[in-house]
Amino acid sequence: MREKIEREVAPRLIVAASTVTLPARIAAAARRASGRSGRLELYFGFDDPASAFAVIDLARRLEGRKLIFDLKPVVERGIEGDPALERKRAYAIVDGRRLGRRIGLTLSRSEPIAPSQAAFLAAWVAAAPRGAALTRFCDAACRMIWFESDGALEPAPYEALWHQCFGSAPTGDEAAVRADEKQMTRRGPYETPAAWVAGRWFFAQDRSAQIADWLDELGWRVK
Amino acid sequence: MSAPRVDYFYSFRSPYSYLSGPRGFALADEFEIDLRFRGVIPMMMRGESVPTAKRLHTMRDVKREADRLGMPFGRIHDPLGEGATRTLAVSEYAIDVGRVREFVLTASQAIWAETTDPASDEGLRLICENAGLDWAGCSAALNDPAIAARVEANTQELVEIGHWGVPVFVFDGEHFWGQDRISDLALVLNDAGLARN
Repeated sequence: MREKIEREVAPRLIVAASTVTLPARIAAAARRASGRSGRLELYFGFDDPASAFAVIDLARRLEGRKLIFDLKPVVERGIEGDPALERKRAYAIVDGRRLGRRIGLTLSRSEPIAPSQAAFLAAWVAAAPRGAALTRFCDAACRMIWFESDGALEPAPYEALWHQCFGSAPTGDEAAVRADEKQMTRRGPYETPAAWVAGRWFFAQDRSAQIADWLDELGWRVK
Repeated sequence: MSAPRVDYFYSFRSPYSYLSGPRGFALADEFEIDLRFRGVIPMMMRGESVPTAKRLHTMRDVKREADRLGMPFGRIHDPLGEGATRTLAVSEYAIDVGRVREFVLTASQAIWAETTDPASDEGLRLICENAGLDWAGCSAALNDPAIAARVEANTQELVEIGHWGVPVFVFDGEHFWGQDRISDLALVLNDAGLARN
């Protein structure tokens, strides 16, 4: 009996439960009725080329929907004690070239970036108000890091970009980054980039069709 | 001159391998390639652990992808253990008799969408016969040490090329991990001038 539950009943229940959408659709309708926007949380790392692709791609795809694009930068993430961590980071460069090709961009780096190198950017973004200026900054910063430069990340060009987007100097908040990392774990994702919308999360670099379908189902359609 | 080789590493316990199957094998229809199926032992039977969050998300994500691809998914029988080992053994036999595509697609659908238990003779025989294989040959493969050694060699090669999951395609030294990268592989094969007219 235990075998049957583990091998058949439990997986079937998980799959069946994942198709229940009514509570999320009701909640989305209630938000709209009260004049509020939908929200898509994107957990991403500036040190990750797949994240760069997701930020750029989603910023474009979400245009026209009444949604808050909630950019949540993280530094520490991944499966604890993952033996394949370094191989995954090296493979991410190979894969980043393919993702870049999909949006007409050429990867400018051939080596991974250590998460700690990009931590200053995560601290700036985590401290900033959500909105169009932040989306512009993240989109442009991801392009600069992965498609327009190579070598170590220096703050100066990104400070200049921040000035262009916000008209002020950045301030960092590492505690806010830690809070985003905790929230990401609570939501379920263990890797970046991950998009979370109304109770569901998606591999953000590969599930743009699913994300669009889910947003449509929730009623956050392109106007 | 022989066609360029594409290795296709696959696990019957991986639902993403299942999703990749129809498009993976179709590459051989679309391109002048020698597509080699390489069945591997599941991660969890190789001593690697999978966190609960990942296992849960995989089921949900695969369901959504299966719906998008028009593939059935959900009436699962997890083949971890004997089911996976026996299916791998028969897949090697299916290669020898030229029916690997039929067997892999049939077996994977049986496991992930038809609650068929390949650890039982009844379940495996049904799969084999649906794939057009003779049960006598399949049964003999289950206890053939040479076939077990081939599966072991496939698994070892996946480890040696540095990969941690399946499906993986390898063409000209370049790796394509995941069912989401089949279209990227197709672009590379196209760029290499391998598209069939």
